[in-house]
Amino acid sequence: MKAGLTTSLALHAVVLGFGLVSLSSPREMAIADVESFPVDIVPIEEIAQSVRGDRQAPVAEKPAPKPTTRPEVVENAREVGDNMTDLTAPPTPDPKPRPVETAEAPPPAPRPAPPTPAPEPTPEPPQRTPEPQPVPTTEVAAEPQPRQEVVPDPAPQTAVAEAPTSEAVDLPASAPTPQARPQPPQAQAARTPERREPEKRQEPRRETASSSQSQTQSVEDQVAALLNREKASGGGARRSGDQAALGGRQTTGSKLSQSEMDALRGQIQRCWNVPAGAADAQDLKVSVQFRLDPSGALDGAPQIVAGGGGAGIERAAAESARRAVLACAPYTLPSDKYDAWAEVIVHFDPRDMF
Amino acid sequence: MEQMALAAPGGDHSIWALFWQAGWVVKLVMIGLLVASVWSWAIIVDKLIAFARMRASLTRFEEIFWSGQSLEELYRTLAERKTSGMGSIFVAAMREWKKSFEKGVKSPISLQNRIDKAMDLALTREMERLEGRLGFLASVGSSAPFIGLFGTVVGIMTSFQAIAGSKSTNLAVVAPGIAEALLATALGLLAAIPAVIAYNKLSSDAAKLGLRMEGFADEFSAILSRQIDEKVPLRAAA
Repeated sequence: MKAGLTTSLALHAVVLGFGLVSLSSPREMAIADVESFPVDIVPIEEIAQSVRGDRQAPVAEKPAPKPTTRPEVVENAREVGDNMTDLTAPPTPDPKPRPVETAEAPPPAPRPAPPTPAPEPTPEPPQRTPEPQPVPTTEVAAEPQPRQEVVPDPAPQTAVAEAPTSEAVDLPASAPTPQARPQPPQAQAARTPERREPEKRQEPRRETASSSQSQTQSVEDQVAALLNREKASGGGARRSGDQAALGGRQTTGSKLSQSEMDALRGQIQRCWNVPAGAADAQDLKVSVQFRLDPSGALDGAPQIVAGGGGAGIERAAAESARRAVLACAPYTLPSDKYDAWAEVIVHFDPRDMF
Repeated sequence: MEQMALAAPGGDHSIWALFWQAGWVVKLVMIGLLVASVWSWAIIVDKLIAFARMRASLTRFEEIFWSGQSLEELYRTLAERKTSGMGSIFVAAMREWKKSFEKGVKSPISLQNRIDKAMDLALTREMERLEGRLGFLASVGSSAPFIGLFGTVVGIMTSFQAIAGSKSTNLAVVAPGIAEALLATALGLLAAIPAVIAYNKLSSDAAKLGLRMEGFADEFSAILSRQIDEKVPLRAAA
């Protein structure tokens, strides 16, 4: 037995020793460096949506609006355009050429005036004063005017000359304003030349008085001038250097998301009284088409475009659907997707209600 | 558990390291299996040697026995030595024979019975010597895999507990514990496979040797019975 035990021990020692040497720390598996593929999940909407571009430009791979000309002013602007502020409205064709002509036209109009005031100084200054007042729309600008009135004619001329230049510096885009301006002052001057004269004398003392004057004199004129000074819509503030390419007028999501559709459905469903006894009716499906204005209110009457053709219960179902649409009228929907829900067709199916 | 936590990624994955990283239950199982393997191999080696010797001695004895040598002479030479196998059967039978004739034979039938019994006894003793410890091989062969499996299950259990504690399902955290647990099963199989093979071979060898000895015992019994028949009536007649 001793021989057996010793041989066994020796054998095990040899095997274990061999195992420790040869089976120690198996080699680490060599894993080939596989490049990982970046996977982007792109919603189909991004492709289906109309992307802002130039409607007249030729088709390119990527729609792009007309290249902008001004330097970048807003850092994180989203909308492309030449505007100073970031507006979502698409850029309108620039009406510059025309206004420039009209803008030049008004200054001559006041200039001829000074010569005429020479014989009659008092009535004419009033004509000038209303003009500069609306232009700067600031108190600082308003102050010099009264002084000019006190000073003889030559001074106002220079003041008038200065005013337009300051206009040109401050608001180069204000070109359109002159179109509206010339008419109202003339009309007002024609109406109430007498009132202004006494008031103007008080003006140098109080600034508030001048403002009250302007209110009484030409509120409409001022507002009109202010309104006109603003460009109707100028696009965004992001700058684009791309070649203009065919695209939509505005970047719009043409589809409502599922949750937004559910929201609309829920809003309508609340007001829908399913016609009683219509549980077994399989063909009571009604489709109602209606238009909405940007505020979410109904625009025109809803129309039944499908179903509700027969008499009795079918007609009742159609009417109930129409009533539901009318009852819930102002709908709350994302205003930025107005294009998508301007016109809606809703399918009413009583089976969904049971 | 602590060891499991330490055995996290990287480090030494040699068998020795795996053993030291294991929990105490698994360690105990591994040590037990190693001891069982050592002991079963000791038995295997011992039995192989013993069987080879037995076979050789049987062959030599048969040669001598059938060489026509006088049985009395053979008995005298063998009685002095320590015998095994057929030799001891022969010696047992001859001793009984001698004792019976020294005291005088009353009945030939009872003598024949006594000699057969003595030979059976000697044969049984020889077989016992041959087959002894083979049972250990059998039990190692059948139970070692289960013991190894037990170690593995316990090891994996603790390993998973450690994984739950570390709150990481990284394979680098999971793997060492499982590898270490599987080492127990590997050791169990390592002990069991040779034990089963050796048991089957050794037990069939032992059966063959037993048959050979039984054949010799039967033959010798027949020879002695002839002798008794020749001698006893003579004495009875005289």
